[in-house]
Amino acid sequence: MQEIATNAPRIDLRKLVTYRDVVVTEAGARPDRPAHRASVAAVVRNPWLGTPPRTDLSREQARVAPVLAGLLTDRLIAALGGADRIEAFGKAAIVGTGGEIEHAGALIHTPFFGDLVREFLEGESIICFADARAEAGEDLVVPLWHKTRAATRSHYQTVTARVSDAPRADEIVVIAAASTGPRPHPRIGDRTTDSAVTSENLERVLT
Amino acid sequence: MKIRKIVTHVEEIHTEGGRPVEPAARIAVVAAVIANPWAGQGFVEDLGPGIDATASDLGRLLAPEVLRALGAPAQAYGKAAIVGLDGEVEHGSALIHTLKFGDHFRRAADATTLLPAVEKRGGAGTVFDIPLKHVTDPTIRSHHQTVEVRVSDAPHPGEILVALAAASRGRPQQRLADLSTEQ
Repeated sequence: MQEIATNAPRIDLRKLVTYRDVVVTEAGARPDRPAHRASVAAVVRNPWLGTPPRTDLSREQARVAPVLAGLLTDRLIAALGGADRIEAFGKAAIVGTGGEIEHAGALIHTPFFGDLVREFLEGESIICFADARAEAGEDLVVPLWHKTRAATRSHYQTVTARVSDAPRADEIVVIAAASTGPRPHPRIGDRTTDSAVTSENLERVLT
Repeated sequence: MKIRKIVTHVEEIHTEGGRPVEPAARIAVVAAVIANPWAGQGFVEDLGPGIDATASDLGRLLAPEVLRALGAPAQAYGKAAIVGLDGEVEHGSALIHTLKFGDHFRRAADATTLLPAVEKRGGAGTVFDIPLKHVTDPTIRSHHQTVEVRVSDAPHPGEILVALAAASRGRPQQRLADLSTEQ
């Protein structure tokens, strides 16, 4: 809480929204490994509002994105019970209608955000993402994948993030999301179990 | 009671009206998505057995969870029942408009007043607003507020989403006169 109180004015933070769910049963059966999934969304003022499209974004990126990475991962780790429990992660941003998608990307697609989120969540993979420009209250489906082995198919999943009154036209919602496990009943195999699929050996299906 | 999922939603408001809110205003919601106890039974005249089998367990589950998510004493509170499209609003009301449900929250929050509520029927992903009022005096105007919630995949047609909400304080920049000062 102390850190937030200190950092909120530096990044023009309006609010933080944390969402968490746990699937107790899916299709009537308990998952072997019930996973907690969470997203944390921060609503900040767009630091580039009203600037022309050739504006250099790097200075504000370096100022705002690291603070967001710290805030969001603190909340995620608290919501999910520790970085060591987190197995999959993702990130997203929604820019208000007064900004550019490039502004959303500027806050999540550089080392000032991504490298820190990866470090704080003890991951190694590239972090998958979604972005959008939208009115307040639009929901965004945030993709997650495994934090150290991105191709782990059981961990391909999504969490829906939404802030009812954000982003305003002059704001950006920045989101980090994570899961402590796989989908409830994963059973679509993996790269290690797949047979070779080519158009030739699928000839009967394709014709 | 058959639970499909439990959802926690926490908002922390740091600025409002362009001014800082210190300490940040917190509102927490915890929702359980359960199978409608009366699903597939046609019109059930006596809802009593279903209430007895479900309402108290739901209240006992949700009350400590929402206070834990709030992380502060609850100054205002509220509740919700969102019934899937195949059910009656009466089914949702049955689960939340009973002391068997609400007393768990009242005891845990040292509260005395009636819990304000939203009850409605909707498809999965329907948006609903939970009204909150002060936990010991429903005339305290500063604490009249709402929190907006959406669970993307609930309730299914045969489900009910039941939620409790709690706030750490009144509205962030509350500045309306007290009821007692009005002529």
